[in-house]
Amino acid sequence: MKIFNNYKRNLCVALTAATFVSINSGCKDFLDTQRQGAYTADNYPYPQGGTPYDQFLFSAYDALRAYNYVSDGFMVVTSIRSDDADKGSTPTDGGADVIAMDNFPALTNGRVNSLWTEYYAMIGRCNTILDKVQNDKDIIATDQMKIQAEAEARFLRGYSYFVLVRAFGRVPKIDKIQAVASNVPQSTPAEIYAFIESDLQFAATNLPAVWDKKFVGRSTKGMANGILAKAYLYQQKWNQAMTTANIVMTSGQYDLSTPYTTIFGEAGENSKESIFEIQGTASATVPTNNGIQYASIQGTRGSSTEWNRGWGWNMPSAMLEAAYEPGDPRKTRTILYSSTASTPSTTIYGQTAPLFPTDVPNTKYNQKVLANPTYIAMYNNRAGWWMNVRILRYADVVLMYAEAANELGGTANTTAALAAVNSVRARARAGNNSILPDVTTTDQTALRNAIRQERRIELAMEHERFFDIVRWGIDQDAMIAAGKTGYNPNRDRLLPIPQQQIDLSKGVLTQNPGY
Amino acid sequence: MKKIFTKFSVLTILCLFLFSVANAQNITVTGSVKDDGNIAIPFVTVLIKGTNRAVQSDASGNYSISAPSNGTLVYSYLGYITQEIAVNNKTKIDVTLKADTKNLEQVVVVGYGTQKRKDLTGAISSVSGDDVAKMPAVSPLASLQGKVAGLTVVNSGGAGSQPVIRIRGIASTNDANPLYVVDGLIQDNIDYLNPADIESIDLLRDASSSAIYGLRGANGVIAVTTKRAAKGQTRINFTSNVGVQKVLNKIAVTDAEGFKKLYSTQLANINAAPFDFSNYTGNTNWQDLILQNAIINSNSLSVSNTGEKSTTLINLGYNNQDGVVKYENFQKFVLRLSEEIRVTDKFKIGGDFTGFHSKYNPASAGLNNALWASPIVPVQTNASTFYAMPSFQRAQVGNPIAALERNNRSAINKNFRFNGSIFAELKFLKNFTLRSTLYADYAFGTSRGFSRPPFTFINVGENGGATTTTKDNLFRSTVTQGQSESHRYQQDHTLTYEKSLEGGHRLTAMAGFTSLRFANSSVSGSRTDSTLVVPGDPDLWYLGIINPNNIQSNAGGGGEESNAGVFGRVSYAYKDKYLFNGTIRRDGSSRFAPANRWGTFGSVGFGWVASEEDFFKNNIKGIDYLKIRTSWGRLGNSNSVPGNLYQQGLSTGSTAIFGDNIYTAVQNAYQPDPNLHFEIVQGTDIGLEVKALDTRLSADINFYSKTTTGLLTTFPLPAAQGGLTYFTNLGKNTNKGIEATLGWSDKIGKEFSYSLSGNFSYNKNRIVSLGNTTEFQITGNSGINLTSTGQSIGYFYGYRQVGIYQTAKDMLSMPAFSNSQLGDIAYEDINGDGIISPLDRTYLGTPFPPYSYGMSLSLAYKGFDALVEGQGVVGNKIYTQRRTANFATLNYESNRLNAWTGPGTSNVEPILDNTRGNNFLFSSYFLEPGDYFRLRTVQLGYTFGKTLMTKIGAQRLRVYVSGQNLKTWTKATGYTPEAQIGSILGGGADNGVYPVPAVYTFGLNITF
Repeated sequence: MKIFNNYKRNLCVALTAATFVSINSGCKDFLDTQRQGAYTADNYPYPQGGTPYDQFLFSAYDALRAYNYVSDGFMVVTSIRSDDADKGSTPTDGGADVIAMDNFPALTNGRVNSLWTEYYAMIGRCNTILDKVQNDKDIIATDQMKIQAEAEARFLRGYSYFVLVRAFGRVPKIDKIQAVASNVPQSTPAEIYAFIESDLQFAATNLPAVWDKKFVGRSTKGMANGILAKAYLYQQKWNQAMTTANIVMTSGQYDLSTPYTTIFGEAGENSKESIFEIQGTASATVPTNNGIQYASIQGTRGSSTEWNRGWGWNMPSAMLEAAYEPGDPRKTRTILYSSTASTPSTTIYGQTAPLFPTDVPNTKYNQKVLANPTYIAMYNNRAGWWMNVRILRYADVVLMYAEAANELGGTANTTAALAAVNSVRARARAGNNSILPDVTTTDQTALRNAIRQERRIELAMEHERFFDIVRWGIDQDAMIAAGKTGYNPNRDRLLPIPQQQIDLSKGVLTQNPGY
Repeated sequence: MKKIFTKFSVLTILCLFLFSVANAQNITVTGSVKDDGNIAIPFVTVLIKGTNRAVQSDASGNYSISAPSNGTLVYSYLGYITQEIAVNNKTKIDVTLKADTKNLEQVVVVGYGTQKRKDLTGAISSVSGDDVAKMPAVSPLASLQGKVAGLTVVNSGGAGSQPVIRIRGIASTNDANPLYVVDGLIQDNIDYLNPADIESIDLLRDASSSAIYGLRGANGVIAVTTKRAAKGQTRINFTSNVGVQKVLNKIAVTDAEGFKKLYSTQLANINAAPFDFSNYTGNTNWQDLILQNAIINSNSLSVSNTGEKSTTLINLGYNNQDGVVKYENFQKFVLRLSEEIRVTDKFKIGGDFTGFHSKYNPASAGLNNALWASPIVPVQTNASTFYAMPSFQRAQVGNPIAALERNNRSAINKNFRFNGSIFAELKFLKNFTLRSTLYADYAFGTSRGFSRPPFTFINVGENGGATTTTKDNLFRSTVTQGQSESHRYQQDHTLTYEKSLEGGHRLTAMAGFTSLRFANSSVSGSRTDSTLVVPGDPDLWYLGIINPNNIQSNAGGGGEESNAGVFGRVSYAYKDKYLFNGTIRRDGSSRFAPANRWGTFGSVGFGWVASEEDFFKNNIKGIDYLKIRTSWGRLGNSNSVPGNLYQQGLSTGSTAIFGDNIYTAVQNAYQPDPNLHFEIVQGTDIGLEVKALDTRLSADINFYSKTTTGLLTTFPLPAAQGGLTYFTNLGKNTNKGIEATLGWSDKIGKEFSYSLSGNFSYNKNRIVSLGNTTEFQITGNSGINLTSTGQSIGYFYGYRQVGIYQTAKDMLSMPAFSNSQLGDIAYEDINGDGIISPLDRTYLGTPFPPYSYGMSLSLAYKGFDALVEGQGVVGNKIYTQRRTANFATLNYESNRLNAWTGPGTSNVEPILDNTRGNNFLFSSYFLEPGDYFRLRTVQLGYTFGKTLMTKIGAQRLRVYVSGQNLKTWTKATGYTPEAQIGSILGGGADNGVYPVPAVYTFGLNITF
């Protein structure tokens, strides 16, 4: 019994000691668990070679391919809303949200919110990179690396704000990572444009003119100057627009040598025509993950296996069809006509087009996003996720130059404008001198109309039209002509600020007029 | 440090083995045990006080035990008041046990120990395992619905599915799930248990009762005690029930005629060309085709034995449930072994082992798919040729039966689980008990599947076109395989001091230490064959069947966390009149930054049993027992907080593409909050327990108030912040409520007894403040639900319908949107500015039922017994989100047959026109009352008499028929009106909730 007692005492001491020692000191380690199978900012092993910011930069390029950033929301807002395109597909397909985009007013949630969200997600990733460049002392990098990373991030951010300001007008200017999120009110369009200019100017100064082949499509001087020129154009800063467009035109990187028929297909990707193309790729083993859904949303909505390529949205409108000059070969490169019982139609790849109305519900589709059957066979997939999205083409810059020059006026500028617009027409002519005669007028108004017409046709279905007619102030007439009678310029030039975002901000964000 | 922990526990266990004490001088005592009606009671435990030696009375109530001549025998049996009788050299002791109508001797789990009900000062309710086992349900929790005040159970009808459980409202904006403790083992669910193997379920509802669980118990604790071997005898028990489940309430949708009418109207309304229905001759009720009457079957066999030194219990369970949605099936096999060895009178060791295996075949068709598919399409022409949907929904809606057949038996999901514990318990120095328990829990999951080639589809000719068939010739078959694993180690060590002093003082003090470590990992992969079609033979569904040079992908992940704490409890009672309980816990969790890891929690509780006072006994007649108790407790809540959110996590899933080159990328996974800490929950509770009129009447009434501060919230930051999620602590919310349980039980004559009971609870949830750390609005379900100061969590926020714009005059006289049109929903102009704008949105109700109630009536006459139970809720709203889908032309729910077609045609249903966005805004049009009353159970049983049973060697046989969910009274239009409250910030949405079927069962329970 004595042994027992001794033991008991010892045990109690041991227990007590063990317990409290454990709690007070030892548990510190016991309770230190780490994230499993996931990095933190503290243990991320930055790869050797390249710049240490590359991995974060690449996540911003990843955001370029996001569903609404470039496919659904973007396409609906920039194209279906215009007089040159209709929703397409069956009458009720897609529901109120997209139907309202076609004939106004847009709903205050849904797609509008998705678009807003994904553009700010991109801006968030850009701001993360800028934060790393400025504040992360753990990253060892040369000044040159820092400047280049900053330039890439600011290009992508500047471009994103340019889409936002055109779509929404007043948007909040988020220019850095916020440790504690604060409720930022909207800035005026002028403030946003100033911010865009400073981002794009920095990018234009510090980005390389060209990348090694393995980085084709990565941000360049030409991209920054091209988008900057357009930002000037939208503000009617004609002088800067012309000068900046001219920098691109004299950079030696781009020309009009690529035939119009080649530009939009797989073979025309990253050609001399291409300034800013969002890049997608595919393989037989990974047909969609590394691509973009852009072409699939607009693909033919066939019941036959061959033509079941997508939703059939973004149908070229009768207005666009009627806008072409006689014999302009760009018309059939842009519009894919469905076959009818009496009139078979052929695609640019020589296939017989699907039959309307039995196979497909619409008479026209966007031929610029039609995938080449060779690639379909190669990737064993019909959805065309591998097709790059042309955001800025060289012809666009040339026409911006022409427009700015004409607006500035004067003989020299008029001559320059004529030369520019005719260079685009010359390519479109493709050697057939009986069509598309040179523009010769030197009357500013007539030339303005000619340049606008050229812009509409050359860049048809390429996301310019809606914003162009708004900035030209011809939106109301154009929309009414196109039968979009719901259009009210006082309201519909801008999208509604997403109600969900207004709610989240407790009313710090305010709605655009008319909604 | 992990090592030290392990060493420490092993040392403790080993030490306990070293003890050995013995003594003798025994005589044999025999006798019989009867109740006050002079009827023999079998299975009464006769225990030698201060030891673990016990026997049981036999079928005639007789017992025989070898006991010390100066010892004391303790006679106990559930439902009777325990009696102690000194042996005093007597060799024959006959005992009469009095029924314990007050339930005071019942033992309940209080966290790292047990306590007698009479000593409680907190709100703990108990449900007996028998009440759970006799219900046809695979999940033991499902059967608790409506049985306990303050407990909300939202059942799902899915095979093997788990209900959503809430105790006393929603104390957190992050996670409101209670903690489960199974025989001491901390768990997140109890789906691995066999319902027939549960002895009792104790619900620790108030903060004082669960405070000893520190960071885990803030949402209440459900403590499950599994069955132990009955003492003194070998017993075999077999229970089985088999039933049919049937969906009674289908969702009313249009048939072919109705669909054609509505779609034509809609096209006309939007000036579109009419649709060519000429070749669509079908009239298919897709719901009927994907739903089925489904079998449910549960079986359980247990064998228990008590020897001189050991008790053993073996239990085998098998459940098989088909889903009412084809071809869902869930099977579960449970094996449990519980063993206790009494090494000496003072020292025992034992252990538990549970093996669990489940197989799951998911439903192969979607309920929404069946609701959406147009009824004008026939199903199929043969086993591999199906009709495609019409062009207006072909791209978005597939043929539901084609999907059903294609997915059927294309996957194998298996889960395995092994858990158990070993314990050693030593009593020493009369008053001390040292107990150490080590737990381990291993879970494994495997899943394999393949994709079956698509069928041939018939495209019915539209607009004069020919009918064609298509078959996807680009199909490539994919095989998937995944494995997951988790393991959990827990150790509990407690030292208890128990002492009764002269003059009626009883004291129990306990101190302990616990730690828990949890880790999991998973891998999964898929390969797609570019040349072959993989056959539908499960033997082939392994990744290796496909050449690795094909398309493949894989993924893997894991997690780790740990908890540690010290705790103590003091219970004191004076003359069973004045009661005190106090607990304290210091607890730490690895989920938070070192500075925010630890917290101190605890509780105090006081009870006064007024009926024990002399003045009460002398003056108040009719009341047999009256106890008033009050308590306060403080806990932390860290449930469901992902680990390490205080650090900046990165995610590696994205890629940049340049040309055809693919580059991996990394980005921030979320916005970190370096100061993230647990929520603090504090609650006070006042309770009243009364037994009156010879204990025929019982009442238990509780008032509670519970406050949560530092609410953990996954914050939906405005998108402008970059779209990352932000997890942080916000303000404060309260839950206040009343719980009342009333019971009446009596006998009429000798043979007929009945009891009636009802429970009612009211809970008011309110956000007191959202703190000053955010300037943003908290929303849920894309802005449908708001959480803001002064209202309940996640209330519905939108427009209120006042009618339909009938005439042009209406449009002029009623407030409207600038683009409102005739036939649109007219909303209320809440702010009175003459127009409808987002400023007119308002509070439209709460998704969480504030009132819930349950009632039951049970009858017994001779061998017959009957049970009727009902249950319901009042005061919440259901959001019929399933009706808001309009991405394509979908089949219409029948309410649309009443759509507005001109002045006076409807003042509720708007015009058929899916281009009118104003009618899709969230409004009261999409809300319906969530009130319901459900006839939950009707059961009729018969127990065969002993005489008959003895002939076949059995002791007892009960057979019964039972009906569950036989009838539901509600205005809700979904498959079930049960509030969908699994989501806290965005609750209450019916997105096609799985039906809760009626179940018709036959069962038996036989004991040998």
